[in-house]
Amino acid sequence: MPYGMNSKVLKINLSSEKIVEEDIDEEILENYLGGRGLGIKLFTDSVPKNIDPLSGENVLIFSIGPLTGSVAPTSGRFSLVTKSPLTNTIFHSNSGGFWGPFFKKCGYDCLNITGKLSSDNEGYLLIDGYDKIEIKDAKNLWGLKTSDALTEIQKIEGKNCQILCIGPAGENLVRISSIMNQANRAFGRGGVGAVMGSKNLKAIVVKSGNKEFEVKNKEHLKKLRINAIDKIKVVPITSQGLALFGTAALVKVINQFGMFPVKNFQAAYTESNKIDLVSGEALREKYLEGNEGCYNCIIRCGRMTNTGEKKGKGPEYESLWALGPSTGIFDLKTITHANYLCNDYGLDTISTGSTIACGMELSQCGLLNESSLKFGNNEVLCDLIEKIALKQEIGSDLAEGSLRLSKKYNGESYAMQVKGMEIPAYDPRGAFGHALNYAVSSRGACHLTGFLVALEVLGAPKKIDRFSVRGKSDLLYLKQNQSAVEDSLVVCKFVGYALGFEFQARFLSIILDKKISITDLITIGERIFTLERLFNIREGFSSKKDSLPKRFLENPLQEGASKNRVVPLKDLLQEYYKVRNWNENGIPTDELLERLSLKRLD
Amino acid sequence: MIDQETYKQFKIVGKVLTDHRYNTSHSGNISMRAGGKILIKRRGAMLGFLEPEDIIETDLYQADSGIMLSSTETDVHRQIYLNTDAMAVIHAHNPFCVILSLIEDEITCLDAEGIYMYRKIPIIEVDNPAGPTDAAREVPKVLKNYPIAVVRAHGVFAKGNTLYDALQNVTGAEQSAMFRYYTMLTGKPLKRDYSEEKHFSEW
Repeated sequence: MPYGMNSKVLKINLSSEKIVEEDIDEEILENYLGGRGLGIKLFTDSVPKNIDPLSGENVLIFSIGPLTGSVAPTSGRFSLVTKSPLTNTIFHSNSGGFWGPFFKKCGYDCLNITGKLSSDNEGYLLIDGYDKIEIKDAKNLWGLKTSDALTEIQKIEGKNCQILCIGPAGENLVRISSIMNQANRAFGRGGVGAVMGSKNLKAIVVKSGNKEFEVKNKEHLKKLRINAIDKIKVVPITSQGLALFGTAALVKVINQFGMFPVKNFQAAYTESNKIDLVSGEALREKYLEGNEGCYNCIIRCGRMTNTGEKKGKGPEYESLWALGPSTGIFDLKTITHANYLCNDYGLDTISTGSTIACGMELSQCGLLNESSLKFGNNEVLCDLIEKIALKQEIGSDLAEGSLRLSKKYNGESYAMQVKGMEIPAYDPRGAFGHALNYAVSSRGACHLTGFLVALEVLGAPKKIDRFSVRGKSDLLYLKQNQSAVEDSLVVCKFVGYALGFEFQARFLSIILDKKISITDLITIGERIFTLERLFNIREGFSSKKDSLPKRFLENPLQEGASKNRVVPLKDLLQEYYKVRNWNENGIPTDELLERLSLKRLD
Repeated sequence: MIDQETYKQFKIVGKVLTDHRYNTSHSGNISMRAGGKILIKRRGAMLGFLEPEDIIETDLYQADSGIMLSSTETDVHRQIYLNTDAMAVIHAHNPFCVILSLIEDEITCLDAEGIYMYRKIPIIEVDNPAGPTDAAREVPKVLKNYPIAVVRAHGVFAKGNTLYDALQNVTGAEQSAMFRYYTMLTGKPLKRDYSEEKHFSEW
């Protein structure tokens, strides 16, 4: 068994209530590491073609990586892989907190959940250490908001446990529902909450086991950690920006570059007196009570807030934007309350805000006759969120996400999405490499799988021209591969601002007691990314889906530092396919598959 | 966005520092005070090829979200402004100043220009020379009384009334350090040691 991993997968079939444990082949761990990579490999090996994501055939795979729970900074993360009911693509997501390290100490790398409990027999799963697994009755929990469910579960299981939980949105199979990780963190995107809801599974509770993290050279690891922490403390983003203002530190920064979308991406710049109302500084000054971090994190970007009327966590940058300026709302209290409500109902804040914004634009254009859907309407935001979670009135249409909503009302071009998933808070017209990532990401519009904003805007590690085309594909290829590795180790992407990728290779080499080079890791990342592509191709996705809404290709911005720009996507894509060694239709070549030891999926 | 005239100053100073090889392609940072704000070079931008969007505005008194973009050493600049009379600050990796900082505790000027301008250039010892935390604490203490100081093994921090003024201190100190270094290299005694005559130890 390799150091750093347990080499065990825990398989649970909810239909038969059969629980088995299987060994994980060492070669799989070598080729896919853990986390996202391991999940993608096990998922694609087991799931047949064109399954309904909300059927018992879909699988939820939670997995930790070799760095999870280690002394490497920000190593509290773990991954989820499933098929998304929002996009119908393969879907990976990762989350922080403490659940991952707790699960690893139970002696497993992977939790594989298939089948479904009967609809009159809702349950939750308890993992109480190695080989102590139980499916417990959750009938009394069904229908509860996540905060109430957490309280009730803690009454039963005690406070020394970590809980993944869905809210009413997941139970009601809302396609933009999330799985909450304790009260504030989430597997946010892709409607993964609905997958858990379709299995009639309310929560997954894990109590820390007693399996120790084994490392051969502990002293070496400690030294590397000290070195890493020194670096994290030097870089202002990790030492100050994220700690002081959370991710909302980006509000003014992204606006400054004319990339902060307003009113469903109709504009991307806001005057300073207005942007100041929703900035990270405003959040800190008005509502911040303290900050918090995940397992082994010294950055501590999490916001603990109190508006005077309500207390809760967040909002983070993307949530603040989606529920605020994206819908034309600049009232920070309304936005903060809306964020609390999304957490409580188990809704993806980005997709919720963006779908409401899409509805507002459909209404603005006269395609949807719904009086509450008006940009800047503070009064209705929380009400709309509740209606989405409960699928009531217009909420039942919004619950389907922006693409399905816009199709229903004959306004598909007003859905700001890729492959069905809503675009996050960076207008692609202001950063062409980032735009390309939205178009080609395997899970739809995603800012995390190749965050070129880091280079194009934040200058980390070095600034590049945000409007150039040549070479962007190569950089994106590298970043996407690195990102797949980070999601497989699993570490937080924020340390990347301070630590070069070589640090991850060094941490892994010490933990596995085996020399792993950066090049080895990039190849692993490429293998993971390519396997995701192969799955999507099997499910019928073609290069036509590697696109962006027409707005970004044809309508230049009218104000701000990205004025007059549109995304030259065709040029970017042509180069990208070549760099990836995919053919002109975006299909990986035989030569590439041979190099990566991959096969096409049947 | 920054006005053209201010941008021009940043661009010229950045280019001079790069052309003189005081920095690597991306290192070094320059800033000026402006109406309760600091205008400072963006992190990751090339000093010798600054563009208008490479000049970042951040609060003078406390960190704000500008920290997401601004130079790694923003805190050192901020503390210099808050604790000295500086209106502009330059940080550069002057080679001769850095070399002498490895073997001396202060750089005593031997040339007339250096004696006139600086007499001696203090050298500061910090635990973590590459990090901004120690430098933010120690450098302002010295710049209260001197126009320029060297952080051992790292580089100089110079202040001025304007960016050009601070630039003169950076280039002047480097020239004095170079004269001193080459003089030492000859191994020959000085014909006349101006530094002794001027009681530099009390300066």
